[in-house]
Amino acid sequence: MSTLTETWKAVPRRRFLVVPAKWRNPIGIAGAIIVAFVILTALIGNLIWTNDPNLSNADRLLGPSWAHPFGTDEIGRDSLARIIHGAQVSLQVGATATAIALVAGTVLGMLAGYYKGIVDQLVSRVIDLVFAFPGLVLAIVIAGLLGPTRRNAMIAIGIIITAPFARVVRAAVLEVMGFPFIESSRALGASDFRVIFRHVLPNITAPIIVLTSVYFSQAILSEATLSYLGLGIQPPEAAWGNMLATARQYVGTSIWMSIFPGAAIMIIVLGFNFLGDGLRDILDPRVGGVTDAVTKK
Amino acid sequence: MTTFLIRRLIAMIATLFAVSVTIFLMVRLMTGDIISIIFFGDEAATDEQKDLVRKQLGIDGSYFHQYTHWAGRILFHGDFGNSFQTGQPISEILGHSIHITAELIVLGIVIALLFAIPLGVISAVKRDSAADYGARLTGLIGISIPGFWLATLLIIFTSQVFNWLPPLLYVSITTDPWKNFTQFVFPALSISVFTLAIVMRMLRATMLEVLNLDYVRTARAKGVPRRTVLIKHALRNALIPVVTVAGFEVGYLIAGAAVVETIFNLPGVGFNLLHAISQRDYPLIEATTLLIAAVFVIVNTLVDLVYGLLDPRISVAD
Repeated sequence: MSTLTETWKAVPRRRFLVVPAKWRNPIGIAGAIIVAFVILTALIGNLIWTNDPNLSNADRLLGPSWAHPFGTDEIGRDSLARIIHGAQVSLQVGATATAIALVAGTVLGMLAGYYKGIVDQLVSRVIDLVFAFPGLVLAIVIAGLLGPTRRNAMIAIGIIITAPFARVVRAAVLEVMGFPFIESSRALGASDFRVIFRHVLPNITAPIIVLTSVYFSQAILSEATLSYLGLGIQPPEAAWGNMLATARQYVGTSIWMSIFPGAAIMIIVLGFNFLGDGLRDILDPRVGGVTDAVTKK
Repeated sequence: MTTFLIRRLIAMIATLFAVSVTIFLMVRLMTGDIISIIFFGDEAATDEQKDLVRKQLGIDGSYFHQYTHWAGRILFHGDFGNSFQTGQPISEILGHSIHITAELIVLGIVIALLFAIPLGVISAVKRDSAADYGARLTGLIGISIPGFWLATLLIIFTSQVFNWLPPLLYVSITTDPWKNFTQFVFPALSISVFTLAIVMRMLRATMLEVLNLDYVRTARAKGVPRRTVLIKHALRNALIPVVTVAGFEVGYLIAGAAVVETIFNLPGVGFNLLHAISQRDYPLIEATTLLIAAVFVIVNTLVDLVYGLLDPRISVAD
């Protein structure tokens, strides 16, 4: 009997829903949960918390209470409702700016890495030029010159994060171009179009996905900064940045106005950084990044 | 090394030229018709008045003429033109503001290194201890917290706990060093946190690497005191890559400074840039942006050169 059970135990039990070891990444999962929570807040937050973010229907400068969990602002608007609206604004601006950078950066990086030569020279010099400015300063100047609106903030942020996108995509394309399968498919007579979409693009999706998450956090942080400086979303529309700017005048009397919007920014930025870090571990261990130097042993 | 030096300097000058052209074009192409913005609603304005404003703004004649005129005056006379709003020479405005930004950045980098070096060393030496986890958590928060919010939190903290607010009007370091320090320490602290986090983690990684090298073990084995080995043998070598990272961070501190100067009402270069933007003072926007970008480019080139000096492989490979 004993030998039988020993043998029986020696065979591992079949487990259902086995998560591959590399997907068990606590930082990435924490990031995904935070990001999912914020997206959910933006999508259905105002269905659950039905206060109007633009209606002054309470006393001004109230502290947190059951009726107003995050308090009220300087003209009696509900801060929680405004933070929920701010989540929508942040994600929308962040998504648009990141989409601009994703498309423009991938196209530019692909052209430079695929055609090399003069095209590469041209694209690389333009990228270098953007890198010659501190990113935030460039965003401030572009948004300031174009005029302080939501659309212009998206354009300004899109431009400054296109450059790092293009640079990384170019490097990745150059690496893929060195592999023999590119040469063989060309030798077989594949067109540029086919080589790019069938062979190069599928091989550079990993760094692109990682970059998207990391620069999403940068885009949101930049939007908050621009709105804080009065160059992004304009009051009375609620954005986390301009809520903090208003709160400055009430820093002595109503600290809640400063605490909640800032915490919201920090949480979403932390979430996307964590997510990007986890995705990098899983998809693309070669690329270093923002949180890499901080979280790795 | 000489070819490396010359190549880097030529690249720097080319970049500065390209940057100045970019700023010049941005101000002209992104704003729409400056004249109609300025004279908006002013029906009585004559063409002579408009031409005069064009001349004051440096937007008369062809772009080539405008650019050479603008860049030539800056290059050969140090003359950035006059502020459109106040008529004050811009070189004077910059002269009054550049040391404020410089003080902020120097203080920021000093604070960052002052905390980052001990934290990085402790974190590496006492690996996986409570102190290590604390330091790493600080690093994680440091890269995600918005600088301008941290500044607000600091003000809330001191006003609630000590019932004290930083002075609202700028005090120069020569008139009252202490008051000047209390005014600069918060903005400097809030821009330094990101750099602190990056440098600390970098140092932790390099220290861990160096501590495992043979010569450190040899030094310990022959009886050199632990503290001496840590500081003289390990830290010195671990600091080389950290120096270059800290150098590049100076560039990013300039961007951070632009934001906190506005919050803390410090009339530095960034403060003037944002003020110029809100006032539509185009010559001042051009000048402040050019100054910030030029310092950024020059600092990055210097860091590159220092790195080449410290690590000969870089300059040879180039």
